[in-house]
Amino acid sequence: MRHELQVILNKKIERIREFFIFVGEIFSLFFQTINCTFSGKFYFDRLMEQIYHLGFGSTSITVVIGLTMGLVMTLNFGYGLTKFGGTLYVPAVISLSLAREMAPLFTSLLVAGRVGSGIAAEIGAMNVTQQVDAIRALGTSPVRVLVVPRFWALVLSLPLLSALSFAVGIIGGMIVCKTEFDIIPGFYFSKVFSTVKIHDYLSGIVKSAVFAGIITIFACYKGLSTKDGTKGVGASTTWVVVTASILILVTDFFISKIFLVIWN
Amino acid sequence: MMNETLLELKDIHKSFGKNHIHKGISLTLQKGESLGLLGGSGTGKSVLLRSIVGLERVDRGEILFHGKRIDQLNEDELTPYRIKISYSFQTGALFDSIDVFENIAYPLFEHTHYSYSQIKDKVKEMLSLIDLPGKEELMPSDLSGGMQKRVGMARAMILNPEIVLYDEPTAGLDPANTLNVVSLMQRLKDKGLASIFVTHDIPAALMLCDRIVVLHEGRIVFNDTPIKFQNSNDPIVKKFNVSKD
Repeated sequence: MRHELQVILNKKIERIREFFIFVGEIFSLFFQTINCTFSGKFYFDRLMEQIYHLGFGSTSITVVIGLTMGLVMTLNFGYGLTKFGGTLYVPAVISLSLAREMAPLFTSLLVAGRVGSGIAAEIGAMNVTQQVDAIRALGTSPVRVLVVPRFWALVLSLPLLSALSFAVGIIGGMIVCKTEFDIIPGFYFSKVFSTVKIHDYLSGIVKSAVFAGIITIFACYKGLSTKDGTKGVGASTTWVVVTASILILVTDFFISKIFLVIWN
Repeated sequence: MMNETLLELKDIHKSFGKNHIHKGISLTLQKGESLGLLGGSGTGKSVLLRSIVGLERVDRGEILFHGKRIDQLNEDELTPYRIKISYSFQTGALFDSIDVFENIAYPLFEHTHYSYSQIKDKVKEMLSLIDLPGKEELMPSDLSGGMQKRVGMARAMILNPEIVLYDEPTAGLDPANTLNVVSLMQRLKDKGLASIFVTHDIPAALMLCDRIVVLHEGRIVFNDTPIKFQNSNDPIVKKFNVSKD
């Protein structure tokens, strides 16, 4: 009995140790990425290439998710508020929700699925076919060559995608307001612009940039540590999507709290 | 072959978990020398090559290049040595998202200040050397296994290294492709390039190498000339020495 308890305890200790090593490696990769950005060679062409793939490549799904969010939220909030005579508050509620939370959060979750899995699969496949070893053996750094361009491409692109998602969502809200609740576009937009303050936009932008960092660092980390051939690549992509999504949701709470404390 | 030690391995130990791969390996490589590294599967031949270029860290022992210890250097410090000691991967390890030209030119873009036209000329010259002229625009997926290996060797060679580490360059190739790869290695040897050649291809090793080293159970059991290898009565060495039977 005592021996069994010892075995269980040892396993728990080992898992805790592995967790701390994992956290250390994630932070190490992040600091290496920052260090490589500001020292030595910077691959501007690779950055542009990644902005095209990760950023422009996500435009269509961003438009779809933004428009859908705007339409669905306005519909639900509209009918809910109408019951209490609050139809005129719909533009304010929709615009605030989209700017602070929904646009950055849903866009980031979608991008975590699309881009995070793509990065993990691409770098993971390179790792299992020794291409990452080749980068090292040829006297170059995988962090500099693979991680830095992807990191900055998404950190720059995701806030812009969130802004696009917000803009399209607002248009979606306007369509529903006009067709379902007889709110004219002029009134709708005047309410949107008077309700949403600069710090609300800023909150969304900062959140998106932080989420972008989380997605790329976790995806690159997992890609660079992928083992066991194609099976390992599949496992890495799943892990990245699940882990990044959970972390985005948890981080969202803390950033929201920080912004509320700062601005209220 | 000049009597100048380029590379020296002293008492190398390496383990993966409980698997003790190297139990004290010591050897030297002279300027212009070709050394054939033989051994059964899992004896750590490739691990030894990877350790030399710092892709694996040794647990104990020293690796010296031109008398300077390189086994404890970090990734950035290893860069100049990785230019001088190049590694030709078993699979070629070509970057599959870029074409043959960009693969071969990669080290030139990274480590030199040549103009684009100079790089183009050097790649063209290298493609002629590996008997693949005019294949610049092909993607790695368009090449056969033998061609991929030769392009990988060209990429490893383009910066004129002092030592090339070949990891089973003829494995899995048909006789014609094996001959292509071996003749390329012979041409590079004739240019005075030192090399360590990990292989199971004994005839190729006997043809190309000045010295044969046999690894067995983590230790070197034979380290001498191809002639002495062929005449050895050591039972472990005899297992590899198919040409004698």
